[in-house]
Amino acid sequence: MMLFSELYSVYYNTVAKIIECALEPGTTEKELQKCVEENAFSESVMTILPALKSGKWPLLNKDLSPKLEHKPSMPLTLLEQRWLKAILDDPRVRLFGVEFPELEGIEPLFTREDYKIFDQYNDGDPFEDETYIRNFCLIMSAIKECRPVRITMRNRHGKDLWVRFCPKGFEYSLKDDKIRILADGCKFRQFNLGRVTSCQYYNGHGPWRETPKEDVVKTLTLQITDERNALERVMLHFAHFEKQAERVDDRTYLLRMNYYESDETEIVIRVLSFGPCVKVIEPESFIDLIKERLLAQKSCELR
Amino acid sequence: MAYNELIKNFEKVRAYMREFYVYGFKSRTEYNGKSTRSYDDERRRLESWLGEYMSFTQTPEGKNVFLSVDSRITKKNPFYKAWKAKSFTDGDITLHFVIFDILYEPSIRKTLAELIEDIDQRLDSAMSFDESTLRKKLKEYESEGIVRIEKEGRKVFYSRMPDIDISQLVDAIDFFSEAAPCGVIGSFLQERLQEHEERFSFKHHYITQAMDSAVMETLFEAIRLRRYVTLDNLGKWAGEVKSVCLVPLKIYISAQNGRQNLIAYHERGNRISSYRLDYITNVKLGDPCVEFEQYREILKRAESHMWGVNCKWNPNQTEHVEFEIRVDADEQYIVQRLEREKRCGRVEQVDENHYRYVADVYDTTEMIPWVRSFISRITKMNFSNRSAENLFKTDIQEMYRMYGIEGGDDDAV
Repeated sequence: MMLFSELYSVYYNTVAKIIECALEPGTTEKELQKCVEENAFSESVMTILPALKSGKWPLLNKDLSPKLEHKPSMPLTLLEQRWLKAILDDPRVRLFGVEFPELEGIEPLFTREDYKIFDQYNDGDPFEDETYIRNFCLIMSAIKECRPVRITMRNRHGKDLWVRFCPKGFEYSLKDDKIRILADGCKFRQFNLGRVTSCQYYNGHGPWRETPKEDVVKTLTLQITDERNALERVMLHFAHFEKQAERVDDRTYLLRMNYYESDETEIVIRVLSFGPCVKVIEPESFIDLIKERLLAQKSCELR
Repeated sequence: MAYNELIKNFEKVRAYMREFYVYGFKSRTEYNGKSTRSYDDERRRLESWLGEYMSFTQTPEGKNVFLSVDSRITKKNPFYKAWKAKSFTDGDITLHFVIFDILYEPSIRKTLAELIEDIDQRLDSAMSFDESTLRKKLKEYESEGIVRIEKEGRKVFYSRMPDIDISQLVDAIDFFSEAAPCGVIGSFLQERLQEHEERFSFKHHYITQAMDSAVMETLFEAIRLRRYVTLDNLGKWAGEVKSVCLVPLKIYISAQNGRQNLIAYHERGNRISSYRLDYITNVKLGDPCVEFEQYREILKRAESHMWGVNCKWNPNQTEHVEFEIRVDADEQYIVQRLEREKRCGRVEQVDENHYRYVADVYDTTEMIPWVRSFISRITKMNFSNRSAENLFKTDIQEMYRMYGIEGGDDDAV
């Protein structure tokens, strides 16, 4: 059972698509070429079709019709079945309403006992709660059918409010263990699914003129002093942002990264967590946010 | 050997991907110990797989390559592509398609001789395979779970395993291929599904973890089978690769710093230690470990004192941590933050405007970054690890200096 195997390779998948395409009478070379362009790597055009045409991989005839008779297919591998079995044991799978008796007798690749997300927040969404699941399913259907919804939710002050909007997708954070609904047609950009108390399709008419305020992308420059393994820690910690690093000298580095304005408070906290190994170079407004916190700390008279 | 965009061994490209993505400031000449040709080949491969995320900068030292991905926008982990670049022979790919064309449904059973004959017929003898090659391939496919081998008397029959319809799992596969361990396997399944729009995006998404998928998969296998492993581990401080024999107990995955650790029992040292997955190579399964459940029970008891990944055999070897923060009347969200983010220990209300966090942990230093995130409101602190407390306070002084915040009480931090 190998994870790094040609069975899962882009080449095998692309050749399967080419054969499937070639089974259609009158398929042209251009169409086969398109299969490569759409499914394989950027340089694969130089290898896949030439190998098939030259008979190096003798799966096509000279006229590009396939030597094979059936649409290519491969049963699920044991590795794939074990992974599926493992996710069926995950509480979040309840959202998708799937049962999979075909995997009876298959050992899961891992169980909940075998791993731990050790720094995940404690107030994650109630993935096994019936109302939560119902709301998720309705919004998922609304997304697929491009229909508006009307939700009632409890805000952070405990007050109920309702809003109508067009759901566009979901955003999941492993750290928060929460799902957010991405919205359009209203002034809010997103809603926490866990805060939704009820949800229906909205059958009224638009005008849906409102659009969420755009989340501004800002750039932050950090100076990293490579002490206590800070360089590696910082670069890994901020790896999920669009970023570029530069070496200034043997122990000093600059990191420029883009972040969304709506996440600014979180980024301030994350920068502070590195202590003196990370210094904000620009923008001035971000430096002020750090200074504000340091000044407040100074006033705490910690000794 | 001529350049090929496919690779036989994942390790080399794993190292380059990490360098280009996590760091991205090294020039071509700085890849010590690697030939420039090797560098050029790996860079070209990565450009072929991940071109849209690759950029270059010119520095006095030369051209630097880096990969930059906003994982909040990218719905599919781009690094999964590397796992789909395994090389193969002309015979491998030909045999693969022709075998499943002959065995196109599970009811079709063939002997080896029949298969050879059918293959010859299908391929017009353009490529022929001997019995040994075919038997070996079918045996390999049996272990992958895609071919069934049945013996009836002296005859051996080969057939394909039944197909399983996964079309109802589309959304679940999309979600878990990014949100579950070894998600690359979900990405393999996505390739089998009809093209569709993906509904999920991911925040705080550490896509680098994809590069360690095979290491993680083998460790899960060892845990499932309750076996020892031997692996090569790059020591954090010595910078040397050492081979160690361990009993893998659990994988600790971070949602906040992108690291994944194996927590394992080190029999020779009689200790439970953690090992970064990105520093591990060459994992091999060993003998069964009869004491596995006992070691796991010890880890389970220890977990209530683990802030991060550091663990001790003796649960009494803990360090006491206490700190207090100021919380104004309209700042209950700060108390919620303490409750939400704590991984062990407890939160106590001291008075109307002060809350205390108390815990006993194996390693105070692991908690320091979290404590720093409360800078602006820390009023008291008491760590039994005095060096950690002193370092924390010195660091705050240094931060005042860095940002030009002077004056006030010289003793206060």
